[in-house]
Amino acid sequence: MLSQPQKIRVMFSKTGSLKFISHLDLNRTVRSAFLRSRLPIWYTKGFNPHPKTVFSVPLSVGTASLCEFMDFRVTEEITGEAICERLNAVFPVGLRAIEAYEPVKKFHDIGWADYELVFEIPDAASMAEPVRELLSGEIVIDKTTKIGTRTVDITSLVRVLDVTVEDEKLVLKLRLSADDASYVNPKYIVELMISKLGIPGEKDDYTVCRTAVYCKDGETIFR
Amino acid sequence: MKIPERILKKVEKPARYTGGEWGQTVKDKNAVDVRFAFCFPDTYEIGMSNLGVRILYHVLNSREDTWAERAYAPWVDMEAAMREEGIPLWAHESGDPLKEFDILGFSIQYELCYTNVLNMLDLAGIPLLSSERENGDPIIMAGGPCTYNAEPIADYFDLCMIGEGEEVIDELVSLYKEHKLRGFDRKAYLHEAAKIEGVYVPSLYTPAYNEDGTLASFTPLYDDIPVKIKKRIIKDLDKSPFPTKLVMPFIETVQDKITLEVYRGCIRGCRFCQAGVVWRPVREKSVEVLSEQAKVLSDATGYDEMTLSSLSISDYSCIDKLTDELLKWTDERKISLSLPSLRVDSFTKELMEKISTVRTGSLTFAPEAGTQRLRDVINKNVRKEDLLRACRVAFEGGKSQVKLYFMQGLPTETNEDLDGIRELAQSVIAEYYATPNRPKKAPGVTISAACFIPKPFTAFQWEAQCDMETLLEKQKYLDAQINDRKIKYNYHDAKVSRIEAVFARGDRRLNRALAEAHKRGLRFDGWDEHFSYEGWMASFEAAGIDPSFYANRAFGEDELLPWDYIDIGVTKEFLLRERHRAYAAATTRNCRETCNGCGANHLGGERSCCPSLKK
Repeated sequence: MLSQPQKIRVMFSKTGSLKFISHLDLNRTVRSAFLRSRLPIWYTKGFNPHPKTVFSVPLSVGTASLCEFMDFRVTEEITGEAICERLNAVFPVGLRAIEAYEPVKKFHDIGWADYELVFEIPDAASMAEPVRELLSGEIVIDKTTKIGTRTVDITSLVRVLDVTVEDEKLVLKLRLSADDASYVNPKYIVELMISKLGIPGEKDDYTVCRTAVYCKDGETIFR
Repeated sequence: MKIPERILKKVEKPARYTGGEWGQTVKDKNAVDVRFAFCFPDTYEIGMSNLGVRILYHVLNSREDTWAERAYAPWVDMEAAMREEGIPLWAHESGDPLKEFDILGFSIQYELCYTNVLNMLDLAGIPLLSSERENGDPIIMAGGPCTYNAEPIADYFDLCMIGEGEEVIDELVSLYKEHKLRGFDRKAYLHEAAKIEGVYVPSLYTPAYNEDGTLASFTPLYDDIPVKIKKRIIKDLDKSPFPTKLVMPFIETVQDKITLEVYRGCIRGCRFCQAGVVWRPVREKSVEVLSEQAKVLSDATGYDEMTLSSLSISDYSCIDKLTDELLKWTDERKISLSLPSLRVDSFTKELMEKISTVRTGSLTFAPEAGTQRLRDVINKNVRKEDLLRACRVAFEGGKSQVKLYFMQGLPTETNEDLDGIRELAQSVIAEYYATPNRPKKAPGVTISAACFIPKPFTAFQWEAQCDMETLLEKQKYLDAQINDRKIKYNYHDAKVSRIEAVFARGDRRLNRALAEAHKRGLRFDGWDEHFSYEGWMASFEAAGIDPSFYANRAFGEDELLPWDYIDIGVTKEFLLRERHRAYAAATTRNCRETCNGCGANHLGGERSCCPSLKK
């Protein structure tokens, strides 16, 4: 037994079926997995005890991720390896604990995130250049919030890392702002491509995956 | 998962469709002999909660030679996408089209899901009518409460399981395998299946009708299949198959918790209640077995809530012992216990203190009728004093809100009985103010009134439902009576209740109306936003059917009823006796006090309360 509950951060991936569950449902899924794992999770006191699980930058439904983070506390000494092992034994396929440790950085230190967008479009090879061109200029999007739609210039919040064609698929690697105040959802880039270039078309499948998370400087890997 | 991602990205709640949940069973399809899919004709959220499917999924997947999967009715946005792109309905675990399966087992829980059954078959690309299916098509079977009168859907099913399915489903799959391995012939399989106790093969029975439209005869095609089909029961529930894990839904479902089934049947005998008759005789599980099963399930699922389930939980003979046993470990594991509706005469302070959800949330009681006279007619055996005492216990425990369930349109009901509903609600409010240590809040009573629907295998199976105008008048009358802002009055849509009544007591001719409804695009009838009364009326008309014949006609006591071919255990003579007692406002004592000779005891059963049960 620890005198004080110890903070733990788990880096995990959310892929396959799991990318289609919402943030709220992820919370439920993790909560039941905690109980199955019999890990010494710390619960809040009071009438309705619950594990105080905090997640980093929420992910849109439909977007996969290789680097999500959640914080919680444990009441007993336990190694990171043991935590991962016990969580992975009870996580559904698509949810994988990669690393567990005592966190140093705070979630609001997050500044950027990398995404890989893969488009299965006809004649992908010929579309790489127009996409590069589209994203090298000014990037202005229509952002829809609860208050309404407004036009926002996100040029400084988007860094294009690579536009390539692999297996006849168009692959886009982007670093987007993940800062609380200026978070850029990758869907805006897809919407921009649809409106300016007509890709992906209605029948074209595409995937979006968050591949890395960085601190404010855009270089130091967040962990 | 084989649905294109772009479709999943645009539909509501995509996690309804992906499969891949913790606890699902995945097998190598090439290593099994029989592929089975449980089909639930409603949304994922409703289907995932069904206890019967949970149990049978476990039963079939315990067999090495069988892989059982799940399928649900896609919501309308997904259906539109599927139709546009020609994607056939699939099973969640493998993603394979249902068409490729050996057997589809539909769980039929209520009449308003019938159109969803047809829509699912249509989306799966399987011929709707049993008579049009060929050897290569799956066998379509039905189970669940509606199979106690499957006549209105008989043309669409190859066979129905009557009663509890744990054993019979196993026998049906074994027989299927036998036939499949020696070259499957549909007709031969169905003929053999019809000889299994509890199996009804509609195509092997022919109804004939009198000139007035009533049923004249109901005849089996062969001499070697039963004239009367005997309901199946599990004799010893302690030994019956029990799931050791559950599929954990990704999204919130209607019963998102462990359901611990404590016993089957009911000692009460309310005269409107079908469940209380068709589940007889009462059979309990022992505290030891329940406690062990609860532990296994809580380990395997990680659910933090567990509900004790049965028709009337406080009638369980060891309820105190069971709750004590469970509370020994549930608190420590952060699991809260909950109970479904409680009878007012058994609601005690001790019970309330034990059950956390009773401490939070609002409380629900079901007096069902407003006056003692009418409560005697329906044999509810609950007095006003009981209700007020239960409410006082609740108020002393910190409650201020009470929900009361009633039925309107019960046989012999008059305006006086409707006044009684209002008076009862007012008495509850008065009781609140008369409770010295009540909470410091304004009280509230919600009256929730359903329309009476006569159901097969009840003492009221012969009764007519009030016509629409009368039902609406009754609702209007009571609405005008209530002018206290602390009392809220909700009532069910009379139109929905009427359609339910038509199908509840329907015969085979209704299959045509169902086909018409499907043609008109009706589905999700249980959902307000999709229910179309006009659509139904047009369907009846096109099929040449008068809905009043089924809903609003008092059936003759000597009439051959469409469901008379089922031996439910309880005799027709007993139900008739109960009907006559109802008209005399005479109550019948519960099974624990005395045996009323209902007939269910001849089915046998362990740990039954039945005093005259033959051991």
